[in-house]
Amino acid sequence: MPYADPGRPPLTSASAYLWWVARGQAGLVGSCVAWSSLAFVSAAALPYLLGVAVDAGLERGPVRALWSAVLLLLAVGLLGALANVMEHRRLVEGWIRAAFRSSQLLGHHVTRTGDAVTAELPTGEVVATVASDSLRVGEVFWILPRLVGALVSYAVVAVLLLRASVALGLAVLVGLPTVAAMLALIVRPLSRREADQRAAGGRLTTLGADTVAGLRILRGIGGEDVFAGRYRDQSQRVRRAGVRVAQTESVLDALKALLPGLFLAAVVWYGARLAIAGTITPGELVTFFGYAAFLTQPLDVATEALRIVTRAVVGVRRMLRVLSVPPTGADTREQPLDLGERPPATEASSLVDEATGVALPAGRLTAVVSPDPDESAALALRLGLLGSGHDRRVRLGGIPLAELGLAEVRRRIVVAESMPHLFTGSLREELDVRGGSDDAAKLAALHVADAHDVLESVPGGLDGHVAEKGRSLSGGQRQRLALARALLTEAEVLVLVEPTSAVDAHTEARIARRLAAARAGRTTVVVTASPLVLDHVDHVVLLAGGRVLAEGTHRGLLAADDEGGRRYRGVVSRAAAEDDLIDPYDPREEDPRATAHR
Amino acid sequence: MRLPIADAATLRAHTLALVRRHRRPLAGVLVLHALAALAGLAGPWLLGRLVDAVGRGTTVGFVDRATAWLVAAVLVQTVAIRYAQRASRVLGETVFADLREEFVTTVTRLPLSVVERAGTGDLLGRTTNDIDRAQHSVRFGVPRILVTSATVVLTAVAAVAVDWRVAVALLVGVPTLTATARWYLHRAAAGYLRESAAYATLNGTISESVEGARTTDALGLGHRRRSRIDDDQREAFAAESRTLFLRTVLFPGVDVSFVLPVAASLLWGAWLVSQGLSTAGAVTTVAVYALQIRHPIGELIYWLDEIQIGATSLARILGVGSVEPDRTAGAERPAGDQVVASDLRYAYREGHDVLHGIDLALQPGERLAVVGPSGAGKSTLGRMLAGIHPPTGGRVAIDGVRLVDLPLAELRGHVALVTQEHHVFVGTLADNLRLADTEADDAALRRALAAVDALAWVEALPGGLSTEVGSGGVTLTPGQAQQVALARLVLLDPHTLVLDEATSLLDPRAARHLEQSLSRVLSGRTVVAIAHRLYTAHDADRVAVVDDGRIREIGPHEELVAAGGDYADLWRSWQQE
Repeated sequence: MPYADPGRPPLTSASAYLWWVARGQAGLVGSCVAWSSLAFVSAAALPYLLGVAVDAGLERGPVRALWSAVLLLLAVGLLGALANVMEHRRLVEGWIRAAFRSSQLLGHHVTRTGDAVTAELPTGEVVATVASDSLRVGEVFWILPRLVGALVSYAVVAVLLLRASVALGLAVLVGLPTVAAMLALIVRPLSRREADQRAAGGRLTTLGADTVAGLRILRGIGGEDVFAGRYRDQSQRVRRAGVRVAQTESVLDALKALLPGLFLAAVVWYGARLAIAGTITPGELVTFFGYAAFLTQPLDVATEALRIVTRAVVGVRRMLRVLSVPPTGADTREQPLDLGERPPATEASSLVDEATGVALPAGRLTAVVSPDPDESAALALRLGLLGSGHDRRVRLGGIPLAELGLAEVRRRIVVAESMPHLFTGSLREELDVRGGSDDAAKLAALHVADAHDVLESVPGGLDGHVAEKGRSLSGGQRQRLALARALLTEAEVLVLVEPTSAVDAHTEARIARRLAAARAGRTTVVVTASPLVLDHVDHVVLLAGGRVLAEGTHRGLLAADDEGGRRYRGVVSRAAAEDDLIDPYDPREEDPRATAHR
Repeated sequence: MRLPIADAATLRAHTLALVRRHRRPLAGVLVLHALAALAGLAGPWLLGRLVDAVGRGTTVGFVDRATAWLVAAVLVQTVAIRYAQRASRVLGETVFADLREEFVTTVTRLPLSVVERAGTGDLLGRTTNDIDRAQHSVRFGVPRILVTSATVVLTAVAAVAVDWRVAVALLVGVPTLTATARWYLHRAAAGYLRESAAYATLNGTISESVEGARTTDALGLGHRRRSRIDDDQREAFAAESRTLFLRTVLFPGVDVSFVLPVAASLLWGAWLVSQGLSTAGAVTTVAVYALQIRHPIGELIYWLDEIQIGATSLARILGVGSVEPDRTAGAERPAGDQVVASDLRYAYREGHDVLHGIDLALQPGERLAVVGPSGAGKSTLGRMLAGIHPPTGGRVAIDGVRLVDLPLAELRGHVALVTQEHHVFVGTLADNLRLADTEADDAALRRALAAVDALAWVEALPGGLSTEVGSGGVTLTPGQAQQVALARLVLLDPHTLVLDEATSLLDPRAARHLEQSLSRVLSGRTVVAIAHRLYTAHDADRVAVVDDGRIREIGPHEELVAAGGDYADLWRSWQQE
């Protein structure tokens, strides 16, 4: 464990999936059934041996016949103990294999789908599926072998009883399935009520987590009572749902005592009459009693199996929905994308987008500026074939990206968005996504991104731990860390979208200077409108309305006296634009609060 | 800073208090379970009587009477189980509902400074994982422990009552049973905790893969994510193997402990019968009891270690209650609205001041930009000015009244802090807005939304103001989420606002769309803007350059540029003029 390759399951139906998992561990399932049968049969044999011991004549003291009966009982008891533990070990193994295989299939699949998976299903639902539904698959492999074992022991007891007394044997053969069917009638509404309570409980957990996640805001502006009240209401809903479960479940529990209990009474009554008539011995009466008491066990297993399988089928259907989301194609099962080696040191290539006419010269640092930031960001995604649509009009070193193939594009072009996801792990591991860079290179990348302070805020330096989503870091630190990570890919072409939007001006100026030096001689694109960055790039492209409006150096464009220069200054010199925005509401001119309550 | 964990004494005291609070239903549950267990013991006892009777020779009438007793016992057992199970589950649900509601109420009352410093990770873990784990113990564990211990005790008592001489043989199983159980319970809790930690890590890794799917694709991280999942599964498997080993010792130990007494009671019983000291029926009864007691004891052992795990979670849940409040409200209320900081100091760790005696008087209605390198103490200063943390030296006051002496509701009406974090709460959009003013009617909500340019998209939502948003509902863009936050500020209407890089976590595109809304909210208020965009500084009335916990320069933009200090350098490089 885990599987080297979890395989490729059929996605047609829940039963097809479960059958596929079962076939994959057929030997194990067989061994589970065998040990389980042995465990159940040896448990059923104990009442028989107890009867034999009683018949050996307790009145005569510990005689030979009693000794041999008791020793046999001991032997069967020890065999049962062995069978129990082996059964348990095999069942746990079967459970783990099925559950882990399912969780691995899901976990691996979501690494290949890109954000298609969250576009199709809410993130919370996908996570819940991975966390709980895969375990439900395991439970099936826990209970079904036991069900088979229970049925075997039931058949054995029925045959033994049939040989001793046709009436009792028939009573067991007809009575027990009837009782099971009656219990099944309650199991269904019970499962429904349990599902209701789980759903209400899930909502309660969401509310609790939501309150905590937004607690800073809550404590800053109020509304605590509203939230505590809301949680209380939902908590009471969960409690009421629990009470409804308790009502049905207690009826099931009571029936599990009543029906076998009445059966037991019937067996005792009939058996005692046979014993008085001398048809059976007192020991056989004890045996009958033991059998009747034992038969509650197969009954319990059967009702449990019904509950588990019902739940698992629902879970598998949810799993199949996730597994049916198609992969993006950059990283497939047939050709896994492993960027675990350095890219070959090739000549720097130019990147050209024929659709807009944006040409990014080889080996230089180019900035793309646009009055509509969405436009330049969209261009950045196209340059790396990220998102939907395979654009034939982007060429790397003259070759259309579509011809290079998605895997090759990912290898050579890295697009880093403004606020990318940081993963949990040590700084050393999380920075070096391609592997192979030494600590010096990592520290150098952190230096370029001016992210040395991160080393101090995670105890342990490079060994320090980055918490989930970088929660322990500030927004600026997260962005700088992500920039260092992008730099360490040493990509042939690096496309950075607004890499310094969350950092202060001092820092931004330092990063811009160091970035230019660090990427010298390699093709680099920065989408930005910040003059602090623009001042350090080799070349600036102004993109507007789907075409290149002007290009040149930052200073050249600032000084240009044409339409392009005017538009460029409009985008870059934000101070002017800000004044336009703020003037109508300038506090120095009017104070609406003067007319308000204070 | 980690949140506290309750010690054993607190845990005990709290559990006792719970028992006392629910002692009536608890007593009822115990009586019912005892009755059910007692009725369940009738079968083997009557069997023994029948064995003796048949041995002596008896009548059909005796058999009928005995069977009638048995049927009666089954009926009593049925009814008792029905009500005992219901009552104990209901009790478990009630106790746990109380516990979790109390916990969440405590959480929503945690001191501002604790919430700001502890972060959300620890608290989130307690609200979700620990509540779930403790829940399992309280809701199912406590009722099952009551049932099983009642059954075990009563079975033992019944065996002694039937014939104490025979029952002595049952003690044969005690040494192996106690040795095995002790060995197991000593190790089980750690093993199961490791197991659940391993599953939590695995689930975390997979949810990260889901949430970071886009980054995974862009950077080609799929291979690494998959090997991380496999590593986590390896650890989960190792943890499972460990607990499986523990059970591999436990199960045979328990099984053997129950076969031995059966055998012993038969042999010893036969000797007693041959001496005329007992009857075959009594021996049969005791032997059957010995077989019957196995399941309740096995279950009891299972729950004892579950309870240990539940107790560690409970300690973490109750620990939150022991956080001391960081302020007590005084009686004074300010009349004016000028915020003044004098000789302000703050240390997160004793002896390591982050702020070194800052003096700052905000002019009502002014806009002050705070700039400076990362780690200079800008955010700490902002939090002090908003009254989030009590300062460790000096004071921040409005009109002479210290911020930390104001009740929270009053404080919020004076100064509010807007940070880069945005969060959309689960609920309707109106719920999200009413946090700031629970009394506000829909018209007021609309006015607030209009003030931040958000009314158009809100009206376009399927349900308008009553659209369900947040996790599971309509997903708002970060820009929209921040607009909602700003609309809340309009409702709250404080005279002073501290903006700590309020737009910096947004996608820069969204940030630009938001600036217009922001400027409307700011109008007419005193604003402290902790900024990383220099145009904000340019627009401000005054600029404060903070470095190393001190205000290095302060004054209007033009003056600072003319003075030729740090700020002037930066401004020139930005302007390129």
